[in-house]
This record gives sequence, structure tokens and C-alpha cells, in this order.
Amino acid sequence: MTVASQLPTEAPKREFRPRRGPKLWKIATYAVLLVFAAVYIGPLLMLVLTSFKTLPEFFRNPTGWPESFGFGNFTEAWDLANFPRYLLNTVLYTSVATAIFVATSVLVAFPIARGYFKGAKFILTLYLIALFLPPALIPQFQLILNLGLFNTRIGYILLFLVNPIGIIILVNYMKSIPKELDESAAIDGCGYYRFIFTIIVPLIRPAVATVTVLHAIGIWNELVLPTIYLTNDDLYPVTRGLIVFEGLYGSQWPQLSAAVIMLMIPMLLLFVFLQRYIVSGLTAGAVKG
Amino acid sequence: MQFTKRNYLFARGWKSAAPIILLLPGFILYLVIAVGPSMATAVYSFTDATGIRGIAINWVGFENYDEFLFRGAASRDNIAALTRTLYFCFFVTTIQFVLGLLLAVLLNSKLKGTTFFRTLFFMPVILGVAIQGLIWKLFLLPRGGPAAELFSLFGTTSEFLGGQPKQAFAWVIVVQIWSNVGITMVIFLAGMQTIPDYLYEAAKIDGANGWQLFRNVTWPLLTPAANTNFLLNIIGSLQAWQLFLVLIGYRPGTQVLGYLVFAEGFGQTSGSVMTAFRQGYAAAASIALFMLVLLIALSANFIVSRREKKYML
Repeated sequence: MTVASQLPTEAPKREFRPRRGPKLWKIATYAVLLVFAAVYIGPLLMLVLTSFKTLPEFFRNPTGWPESFGFGNFTEAWDLANFPRYLLNTVLYTSVATAIFVATSVLVAFPIARGYFKGAKFILTLYLIALFLPPALIPQFQLILNLGLFNTRIGYILLFLVNPIGIIILVNYMKSIPKELDESAAIDGCGYYRFIFTIIVPLIRPAVATVTVLHAIGIWNELVLPTIYLTNDDLYPVTRGLIVFEGLYGSQWPQLSAAVIMLMIPMLLLFVFLQRYIVSGLTAGAVKG
Repeated sequence: MQFTKRNYLFARGWKSAAPIILLLPGFILYLVIAVGPSMATAVYSFTDATGIRGIAINWVGFENYDEFLFRGAASRDNIAALTRTLYFCFFVTTIQFVLGLLLAVLLNSKLKGTTFFRTLFFMPVILGVAIQGLIWKLFLLPRGGPAAELFSLFGTTSEFLGGQPKQAFAWVIVVQIWSNVGITMVIFLAGMQTIPDYLYEAAKIDGANGWQLFRNVTWPLLTPAANTNFLLNIIGSLQAWQLFLVLIGYRPGTQVLGYLVFAEGFGQTSGSVMTAFRQGYAAAASIALFMLVLLIALSANFIVSRREKKYML
């Protein structure tokens, strides 16, 4: 079907459409959007309201407005849930693994993007097919177990040092940097390592930011791997800590809600400031499934 | 000795090994942590590996597959889990696709407040399964929770996540879509931004109405974004299971294949089902899931590329 084949029969509608159509359309659009917004705001509002209630108050009136807004649940959850430790663990895992991942990835991606050595294309293919390989979960576990790194910080961090999508994003972006830059830098006597970190990295900053944010969010939110690899409470990241907290204080929703909110705040702040990179990273990263 | 191609000008001789040496840490990590284990899954599926250090691993041939697919009550449960995975995939893919498209169409207009709505609908994506799950567990509280109140307005009650397996399963679908429709929406929006305005202008001058604009301009030109979303949703939903973990645990009548792999391989005692560490068996299950994903993704890709030909010539 083409545009042209349908036109003659529809043309007369033009007469009245501009007057009534747009306004009605506008109202209908807002109505639908508001319904959706309610589905998104509703659960969040419930969470916030619950976090300000005392437990008896919550049982008496789960959905209503809290009688007063105090931060008691937040401080209690902070102490009860071993929160500072979990948070420290998450920050440690996320920052160390992301830093190592980004630094090594730039060094992997650049010679591939430039085709500086034989087999560069083959290596890129190896990263591209990663999406079509079976999950590595079980042999990975055997590997970490046999290295004696089960239930250790190093073993856990090791799991997050690779991310093929990150490499692909970097390679694609680096291809847009003109090769003449390499040539003139080399002629001026700039070394390879220095060239990458003082000239290339600043030029590909948007891609680096995207990859960093994508990788960091993945680690921050990871729930399954800590469940598998970490059995020691002292090593838990916040996600795992939260689920354990739920197991222990399951019916104490006020405190649990406060804990959830405290966990959400860093993510939401990050989202507000880095929205562009997060959106581009997660939509590219969604390929991972 | 020259290690790089001629176009590498930074150094000659042995110093030209720098790019390769610097590439190695990242690449070796990739081989050891990702590609190697990924391939090894197939190997482990033929063994009786346990996941306990020091216990010998024996070769058992097709034993795991045989047991997984054909033996006793467990295999019937497995087949049921497989069917359920397909249901989950079907509902999540279609609903998320349609809602994502609808939201993108509504938000692509120049109305006020679109940025707010876009941010709101995308936000759950960054929160991760633990938070997504807990938010909904609270919302779906059977005694006096908001959803229960809403239901009572219509004179019905529900146990939500604690109810019949089918009911709990349906709610996981809802939460899965709530959490991820933002990605679908954003991909559609990105696709819509590449459609030039003059096409709409031209069609309007020819008298096309709103539906015709969508049907004959937006939809065909959105083909790449639609295909991406279609494939992403299929692959993603076939493998998704973490919300089941947070929302209902390993409950009979609700398991999907991904959760089954986790439960068999790493032990899971939540709910009434108790399983041990059977990693060889879990590897076989994960190969079965992988085959399923591959099969469906390839046939979806076939459909999608035919559609692409139709519109792109």
C-alpha cells in the first residue's frame, strides 16, 4: 500500500479536520498519558507514603496518607540492614570493575577500530557473536570455584570485567575519528599509549561515558551473581542485602520501603544528570537481554 | 620484527608490539571469563558436575538431556516450564511492543510535558530487578494494598502474587512490562526522530488523516526500530526470570526455564520445591533454553528481514 493509492477517497475530510481534530486529539493524548503516568507514579507514591508510616499505622491504614513525616524508618533501616557496609561494597565493586573494564576496553577497541594488526576483524567478530553464545553461568562458576575465588571480593569483581557491547560501542565510535590524527601524532613523536589516553579518550568522551554508565548500572543493579557467588554477609552488595533484609523483616514494609528509597536515590540522581548517556547505553545494552 | 600492519606509524621494530600487548589484558579476560565458559556450557551438559569443590566430575553422555526431557514427573514439569517460557515470551513481547509504540507515538508530538512523561516511563529501567520487584510487591499487597483497594472497588478480591500460579504468573508479566517498556519506547522514539518532517507535510497536503499518516508514513519508516524492538523483546523475555525470583520465588506452576537453570545449578530452597546443586543437569537445561532462544530468534529474524525487504526494496 502506498500513500498515493489511498488519497482520493480521503481528501474531502480536510474541510473540517483542522478545526476540531487537533484539540480533541490533544485531550485524548493527555488522557492516555495520564493513565499511564498513574500506573508509574502509583507504586512509587505507595512506596514513599509507606516509608513515613509506623508499623501499626501501616497495618491500620496501608494506603492512606501518613500521620506525620519523620525519617525514623530511614535511620532504623540504615542501622538494621547493615546498610553502610552493603553500600560500601556496591560502590567498591562498581567503581573498581568499571574502571578496569573501561581502561582495558579502550585498549582493545582502538587497534581493532583502526585495523592495526592482523586478525583485528576476527577479534571483532568474536565480540559480535557473544550475543549468540550460550549463557556462561555454570562453567563460570566452576572456574571461580576452582580458582578458590568463590565468596571473595576479587572473584566477584572478576565477573564484571568484560562486556562485549561496550567494546562494540567503542569501536563504532572510534571509527568516526579521522585516521590522519594518528598519522600526524606519530610524526610528531607521540607514543601509542600517550596518544590513546591524552588524545583519543578525550575525543571519544561521549562513547566512554555511555559505556561507563551502562556497565556501572549493570553492576549496581546485579542481583543474581551476588546470590550465587557471595555467601558472606560482609561481602553483600546492596541489592542482595535488600533481598536478605526483606527475608528477615518481610512484613515490616515501612522500614523496607525506606531502605528501597535510599537505594533508589543514587540511581535517580545519576539518571537526572546523565540521562542522555544512560538512555543511549541501555538501549544499546538492551541487546544483551 | 614488525608486529603491526604498515599503516601503524607510532613505532617500528619490536616496539610496534605495543597495541597487541596492551590489547591482551582485556582480550584474555574476555576469553577466560566470557567466551570460554560460554562454550564450555555444552561440555558441562554431558557431565554430572555438582558445584562443590573437590568432587570428581564424570562424563555421563546424554543422560542429562534424557532426564531433562523424557524421564518421570520432573520432565513433565520441565516441559511445562518450557511452555510457560513461551507464554511469557509471547505476552511480554506483544504487549510491550504495542504499548511501547503507543507511548512513542503519543510522546513524539510537540505537546508540553513530553520530557516528563518520557523520563517517568523510562525510569524503572535503571532501578534494577530488586527494586522493581519490591516496589510491586508492596503495591500488590493482598491485604489493603492499593491494588487490592482498586479491586475491591469492583467488588472482587485477589491474592495477587500469592494466589493461583496462573494469577501470580500474570502479575510477573505485568511487572516485567512495566519495568522494560521504557526501552521499547525510547528505541521507537529514536526511530521516529529519523523520519523527516517534509514527508508528513506532503502527506497532510494530500489530505491524509492521523491514522493514514501513521499507517503510511510512520509505520513503514519505523521498520528498523520495530525490528530491533521485536527481536530484543523476544530474546529478552525468553531469558528473563529475575523478577520471578524477587516477586514469587521458585514456586511450582510458575517456573520458567531461566529460573529452572538457576535453581538446579545453584540450589534454591524458597517455596516448597527444594533442589540440589546439579550443575551438569543445569547446563543441559541452559543449552535447551539456548536452543529455544536461537530457534525463535532465527525464525523471528527471518520474518523481520522479509518485512524489511518489503518496505526497503
